[in-house]
Amino acid sequence: MTDTTNIDVTDDQKMKEAYFTASQGQLIWQRFKKNKSALAGAWVLIFLILSGIFAPFLTPYDATIAGRDKGYLNGAPQIPSFCDENGCSLRPFIYTTERTRSIKTNFRWVTETDTSLEGRRYVEFFTKGIPYTFLGVPFETHLFGVDKGMIHIFGTDSTGKDIYSRTLTAINTSMAVGTIGVFIAFVLALAIGGIAGYYGGWIDSGLQMMTDTVRTIPSIPLFMALAAFIPDTWSAEMRFFFISMVLGLIGWPTLARRIRTHLLTERNQEYVLAAQLCGASPSHIIRRHLLPSFTSYIIVDLVISFPYMILSETALSFIGLGLKDPVNSLGVMLQNVTSADVLLNYQWYFIPVIFFIVLVLAFVFVGDGLRDAADPYSDSSK
Amino acid sequence: MLEFSKFVVVRGVLAIFTLVLVSFIVFSLMEMVPGDCAERYLSFKNSQGSMISLADIQAERIRLGLDKPYIQRWGVWIINAFQGEYGDSCILRLNISQLLGEKFWLSLGLCLSSLILAYVIAIPVGILAATSKNAFLNNGLRLVSYLGLALPNFLLALMIMLFSTVMFGDSLTGLFSKEFRDAEWSYERVKDFLGHVWLPIFILGWSATAFAIQTVRALMSDEIGKLYVTAAAARGVSGRRLLLRYPARHALSPIINSLGFDLNRIFNELPIVALILTLTEAGSLLIEALARSNDQQLAGAIIFLLTASIVGINFITDIILALTDPRVRRSIVG
Repeated sequence: MTDTTNIDVTDDQKMKEAYFTASQGQLIWQRFKKNKSALAGAWVLIFLILSGIFAPFLTPYDATIAGRDKGYLNGAPQIPSFCDENGCSLRPFIYTTERTRSIKTNFRWVTETDTSLEGRRYVEFFTKGIPYTFLGVPFETHLFGVDKGMIHIFGTDSTGKDIYSRTLTAINTSMAVGTIGVFIAFVLALAIGGIAGYYGGWIDSGLQMMTDTVRTIPSIPLFMALAAFIPDTWSAEMRFFFISMVLGLIGWPTLARRIRTHLLTERNQEYVLAAQLCGASPSHIIRRHLLPSFTSYIIVDLVISFPYMILSETALSFIGLGLKDPVNSLGVMLQNVTSADVLLNYQWYFIPVIFFIVLVLAFVFVGDGLRDAADPYSDSSK
Repeated sequence: MLEFSKFVVVRGVLAIFTLVLVSFIVFSLMEMVPGDCAERYLSFKNSQGSMISLADIQAERIRLGLDKPYIQRWGVWIINAFQGEYGDSCILRLNISQLLGEKFWLSLGLCLSSLILAYVIAIPVGILAATSKNAFLNNGLRLVSYLGLALPNFLLALMIMLFSTVMFGDSLTGLFSKEFRDAEWSYERVKDFLGHVWLPIFILGWSATAFAIQTVRALMSDEIGKLYVTAAAARGVSGRRLLLRYPARHALSPIINSLGFDLNRIFNELPIVALILTLTEAGSLLIEALARSNDQQLAGAIIFLLTASIVGINFITDIILALTDPRVRRSIVG
């Protein structure tokens, strides 16, 4: 302590001052930044979400049956290259493929690759493709494409749909289902947990009983029972909203419990008493004191419950009770990998699985990092 | 002793009350499914060639008692349900308790085995992870527990199945070989069963194990830092003796407390894993009941039974906690 200079002391004081005057959000961000794996997860997550949002621009083709490539069913991924035996080119290229059937192939359909110079398809950037609207503005520029024919960097499925386009669109759909589900669960949890926590007493006991009962029922079997309501005549969009709603309607108890516990402890704190003694109205106390005291925890809880929503949606779609074609979700994509044929012959069907695992992992890392960062005792315990 | 039996009775009454509430939720949901048993049965008959009129449906409704008010039917259902009687399946026209019977006990056994497996693995590994300073081990375990969530059971099941199809030419599906499927229980059948059952148990236990490791680790590292552990160490207790006698005993109570929810998690995985591994027990029967035929009677019975076993486990763990944890015992006896 004796050899610290004056400048160091003032710096130290400034830092301390900054620490004590920092808002909850700033503190959480400071702690979050130190956690390397959570930060990496956050970057991956942002990247995936952005690629989901900008999917129409990033993908060359329509993800539904409209964008199918009739000449390239169950096609392997086409990786652009710069060189082959015919020489090199500055522009990456892929080869033209053709489905043929002749006496040579025993009259079976086979895909032939034309590796000559004429068969090269050059990759182009910012190509004009199928029109789409983004934020209400019509566009038809896509990030990349080829000069003739089509390019499938993740291959195609059995109907010739581009797996790359489908995967990015699926991320978007799964995120949307998760967002709606989390939002509904959040509103319900806030209402039920809020009422139970604020009033306490027998209202609390009754609501707790109800919450615990809903929590006891295994959710996936219940999801399945609810999803079976959906008549076959419903459109894909209606199914989508219904599934999101069901996810939200069953996902609220855990969150409600946490909000209630938090409110119960916070409303007996001294600062609330101080505000009450100063003559603050209940609405003022709730808005200015109680809500800010746990917004950060709620945000953390929401991030943590997100992957469960995505997992539930995937599980539902996987058994065929959730979303269905033509809606693309990660669950719908996973449904396609269930046959042994896929593992033996069409391994590129597994590419969406990797995206799915990475997405869930990223969410878990970020959620865990946020939870540690939001815990004010996480520093002192170490 | 008197206080203790009072505690057991109160817990028992609470558990039964929870079940009644559950049955109301499940019954209402099944009631909301469009169409009822009578319509479904007769439309099935219709597809077999016989002509069905509206009057026939009405007659069938009266025969099944579906014309009675909602609350009355729920009352009848719940009273029967507590006696293990769930009526007839809508589509299969079979008595549900006969239909489920052995299948339900088999799947409950499966789930409980995977729960036990999860903790048999998780308790030593979790304690090790909490005490070890080895960064490599800790990071490895963290990765495994993250994968437990991100790699859902059905994906794992699928990968193992496909792998074994390619490597051994056997898809490892089902609980029995073909020749034993409907056979009577015998030594050979048990042997065959044990040869098949390890895979579903492992897969069902997969994410439960990952979660359990995380829980045990977190609880242990919380407890290890506490002063009573330091005090015990200062008195000269060390090594395994210290860990097992002090922090592990404290960490055990929350774990026992959460067993019911762990079972809940495993039940969530059951239908999907059952579908992939083509296990013909309750899980896939539920999918059958819902997805293929909208059999609300059967689906309701299965969900009720699953929830009842969770409530049962919660009841048992409450009693065990009261018996083993002096703090809880104090609070009962007062």
